[in-house]
This record gives sequence, C-alpha cells and structure tokens, in this order.
Amino acid sequence: MKAKPFLIAAPAALALALSGCGGSTGNTTSGGGNTASGDCSSADVFCVGLVTDTGTIDDKSFNQAAWEAVKSFEGSGATVKPIETKDPKDYANNIKQFTDQKYDAVVTVGFLMTEATRTAAEANPNTKFIGVDQFQESDVPNVTGLVFPEQNAGYAAGYLAGLMTKTNKIGVVLGQEIPPTQNYAKGYEQGSKAANPKVSVAKVYHPAGDNAFSDPAWGAGEAKKMLAQGADFIFGAGGGTGNGAIGEAAKASGAGESVYCIGVDLDQWNTVPEAQPCLVTSAEKKLTDGTKTLLDQVKDGSIKGGNFFGKTGLAPYHDFDSKIPADVKTKVDEVIKGLEDESIKVS
Amino acid sequence: MEWLNRNKVWVGTAALVLVAAYVFYFINGTIAVSMFSNAWFLAVPLVLGAMVGVIGERSGVVNIGIEGQMLVGAFAAFFAAAATQSIVVGVIAGALSGLAMGAFLAFTTVKGQLDQIIAGVVINIIATGITSFYFESGKTIPRGLPNFDVPLLSKIPLIGPVFFSDGPIALFALVIVFVIHVLLFKTKWGLRTRAVGEYPSAADTAGINVIALRLVNVSLAGILAGVAGTYLSMEATSSFERGMSSGRGFLALAILIFGAWRPMRALAAALFFGFMSATASQLQASDVVNIPQQFINLLPYVLTLVVLAAAAGRVRAPGAVGQPFVKGD
Repeated sequence: MKAKPFLIAAPAALALALSGCGGSTGNTTSGGGNTASGDCSSADVFCVGLVTDTGTIDDKSFNQAAWEAVKSFEGSGATVKPIETKDPKDYANNIKQFTDQKYDAVVTVGFLMTEATRTAAEANPNTKFIGVDQFQESDVPNVTGLVFPEQNAGYAAGYLAGLMTKTNKIGVVLGQEIPPTQNYAKGYEQGSKAANPKVSVAKVYHPAGDNAFSDPAWGAGEAKKMLAQGADFIFGAGGGTGNGAIGEAAKASGAGESVYCIGVDLDQWNTVPEAQPCLVTSAEKKLTDGTKTLLDQVKDGSIKGGNFFGKTGLAPYHDFDSKIPADVKTKVDEVIKGLEDESIKVS
Repeated sequence: MEWLNRNKVWVGTAALVLVAAYVFYFINGTIAVSMFSNAWFLAVPLVLGAMVGVIGERSGVVNIGIEGQMLVGAFAAFFAAAATQSIVVGVIAGALSGLAMGAFLAFTTVKGQLDQIIAGVVINIIATGITSFYFESGKTIPRGLPNFDVPLLSKIPLIGPVFFSDGPIALFALVIVFVIHVLLFKTKWGLRTRAVGEYPSAADTAGINVIALRLVNVSLAGILAGVAGTYLSMEATSSFERGMSSGRGFLALAILIFGAWRPMRALAAALFFGFMSATASQLQASDVVNIPQQFINLLPYVLTLVVLAAAAGRVRAPGAVGQPFVKGD
C-alpha cells in the first residue's frame, strides 16, 4: 500500500490548529467603553477589573451579571475593564494584566477560577479579589468568595410549587450530584413539603460526570417522563441539562395553564427564552447585588477575606405576575424573608 | 415459513418483549407509556447513529467519528435556524453539515487511504474545536420541530403514543431503519455494498467500482449523523450546548455491534438501551429502592456489557472493515 503521509499530516494539523484555536490569549475588549485611563496605581482612582470564565460579558449568565455590578461603578468615576477568557489556560495571565496595572479590585467569575484567583492574590497582597461562586476552604486575607446558599433559593421555589400544584406531584431535573445541586434539591423538597405535605417530589440527577451539565436532550426526556406521570411543576437545576427540562415543559400541552417550570441561578426568563411559556420564576442567586456590595466594601476598606454569603430569592414572575394568586405571592415573600433572617432553616 | 424457522429466536424474543410491554401497560398505563416514550426519546439519536455505522461498516469503513458528525450537525442546525429564524433552513443545514463530515471521512480514508480510526478521531477533535470556538450563547430559534400525531397509527394503545406522536425526526428514524434494512438485503445496491465490505477484491473483479461505492455510501451516511444532531438541538430540545452529543455517537457504535451490524437488531438494541436508562431514572425518581443513584445509573451500562459479552463470538464484523482498498494490491 502506498503511503500518502501528507494525507495524514494535513487533517491532523488541521485538527490541532482548530483545537488550538481556543488558545489565543484573552483580549481586552472595549466592551465597557471606558476610556478614562486613570492611573490605577494612584490611590485616588478606583480601578476594578473583571475576568470572565470562558464566556462573554453579554452571556446573559454569570459573567454578565457580575459585569453589570462592576460597570455600575463607572458612574462614580471608577475605571472598569473586563477581560473575556477564551481558554482556561489563560486565567492566570488575564488576572495578571490587571494586577500589573495595580488595579484596586479584581473580580473573577466562576468556580473554575478558584485556584487561579487564590494564587494571584497571594502574589499581589495589595489587590482585593472577589471570587464569584468560589467557596474558600481556607482564608486568604485579600480574597473574598461570593457564595450563595442554594438550599434557600430551592426552598423558595419548592414552596411556590407546593402552593400552586394541582396534581400534588412536582419534579426536579438536576445536573451532576454535587453539593450545589444537592442543596437545590434539598431546599426544593423541604420547601414544597412545608407548603403542602401531600406533595411528592420526583428527583433525578444526571448519571454521567463529564456532560452532566450540558446534556439538554437528556433533561428534556426526563421532564417529558415526569410530566407524563402527572407532575405539573418542573424545576430545572443543572445548567444546560436543566434548561432542556424546562424547555420541554414549555412545549407540553397546558404549558403556562396547568404545567409550570422554574429556572435556576439567574432570571432565566432572559437566558432561556424558549421556556417562557411555562417559566413562572427562577430560583435566583442575586449575583449582581452581591458583587456590588463587596465592591462597596472594597471602596470603604471594610472587606474581609473568606466567604461572603450573597442573597438568594425568586426572580420576577414576568408574564405570570397576574396569574399567580395574591395570597400565594404574599406567603412566598414571607418565606423568603424567613429564610433571610434565618427563622426558616433548611436542614 | 422458512424465514420464520431461521429467525425463530428473534421473532420469539420480539413477541415476548411485546407481550411483557402490554402486560406492563395494563398494570399501569401511565407509567408504561411514559417510560417507553422516554426510552424511544433517548433511542432516536442512537438509532440514527447506529445506521451511520451500519452503512459505513457494511461498506468496509469504520466510522468512529459519528460523535463528532452528530455534534457538528446539532451545531449547524441550531445556528443556521437561529441566524435565519427558519426551522426548515436549520434542518437542511444540519443534514448538509452531516454530508460534509461524511464526505471528509470518505475522501480521507477511501481516496487518501488515511487510517480510518485516525480519521474518525480527527473528526471528533475538529467537531469539538469548531463547535466550542464558534459557539455563541444567547441565540434562540423560533421554535423546535413540532410533535404531531400520525393518523390512525397514533390511536394504537401503547405503540401509538410511544412511536407515532413524536416529532418528524423520530418518525424518520423509525422509517429509515426499515428502509435501510430493505435496501441492504433486498436490492442490488445492498448486495454490492455488502460485497465491498466483505471482500472488496472479489467485488472489484466482478466489475464493481469499490472506491466509488464506498465514497458515496460513507458520505451519504453522514447525512444521518447530521440529522441525529439536528434531533438533539431542534427536536429533543431547542438549544445548543457545547458537547451536547454527550457520547451518544460512541454509544451508537456499541449498539451497532450489539445489533450485529443489522439495522433491525440495532433498533432493538437502541430501544433496549433507552429503556434501561428510563428504568434507571424511574427508580431514582420514585425513590422505591434506597440505593445510591450512581449504582442505579450504572444499570444500563452493566446490562449492555453483559449482553455484549454474551453475544461475543456469535457476531462477526464485515470482513474488510478498516482496510483501505487499493486496486490490484
């Protein structure tokens, strides 16, 4: 057999080139439109940098929510700048671009950047770091992890579902079984039972590890099965997998009339528009508020290292505002207050 | 009669499964229908993927790039539909991207004699690279492909709601299995394809253009992988996620072997796998057994392994699989 080495080399090189595409260093974007090039090393100029996880600042998700908080400081004369990470290999380099210019605060978004953030913080003790969704196992004095009690958000969502369900059956489709999803599920179950002891909760975790959060087709199949078995509330709590579940509920007959769904993490009315026909609310982590609070603390010097627990709650009801009975809303609001002042605790 | 005699094991098994399914249906109709629907819902991309494998390997070309072809199909379909706001354009883009990926495999391995495994790996790597790099979040399509009831057939108890109240691609998957079965075993094209996959030099001597037939078959099979991807992003869901094929292309290969390189048996194998997954999640959701969900979720894989082990030795791959054909070699 005649060997044609170029035919092996060409596609292989192509493959390497393409898979390497992600390797380009994160570019500083001019997304903020900030041209006020104040000298960040001066004490008078407040400079805040934001490093996204692999994603963009208009991703309608975590990155955008955090960026909105940072951007809000522009009005008060601060210099703000985002760097969009293209490849996880660049986390450290992207953070370095800010620390080299002596920024006062650097916000890093996403659990995956936990280590990179801590390492950078140890090397730059004068810069304050805010790690969104980064739980700190041990304290680094200049790193504050902004974390959220998922069980509280899940509890509020479950409470709403428990009050509104007609079939007394509700379901939740989760990603991989890890502490955040377990917390959501735990809260959801306890909340729904607190509202209505007759409720039974169907709960499934995605079986595989690698793609557990990016398998919408599986999530949709699970939601379909739960709906066929009489569930009238589907809570999708697992990234893309959960989004598949609420997207399926939106397609079911009776969506928005007798079948409802609940989103997760952010107000998914905006992030998962295909779920709008059934999306009553989302179990929300108040990311923008939390980031703002911490940046204010950086400004007045009161920020502490360790973990900062942000607020959770339910996203606006949007089109369902008029369809949800007023007494249900009142009860849910009371529960959210109770969770905040810790008179209600999820065990 | 003779046919029945030759296939008595398969016909018997099928009859037994059918009876068991209806017994289940009469005990608890709601749960039976929901579980079988779930099984078929999960099986559709596996069936289409396995058909890609059947055509490829029957022609003598191993295709381990089904996973990547599927992913590119899902990506192209979704983003074409999002850009044009037309679901028809999306479906066409999904199918054509599959054709392109199929042609890539065909030309590198059949014309260029690149190692077939390497070509498949290249496809998977390219697919992951392209679909992650050009991925944009926040795009939406007007709506997914709609479900509809097939007249009359959808009224059959159990079978109707499971197989005949789905979207167009699910229905297509069901039909294409029978079509490929007939084409492969009852037509001239089928005979030639099998000859080319079993003993290409003999086929060549008989005047069949081995290279051309393989090129055409492997390229066209790619369309099915593209359609499987379109199912994932436009029928099962209305969204695209990076890596959303989630190993289904590789599972399809296991199903191909499980189904002994025959379309109908691959369909049965895919349904079996889908049903095992449905059972796993049903046990998890209903909380009847108190064992960790990871163990329940192992069930389909363990059972597949057992069945594959039992079938080993009894099934045989087409003779010329994996070997490039060089005229006069």
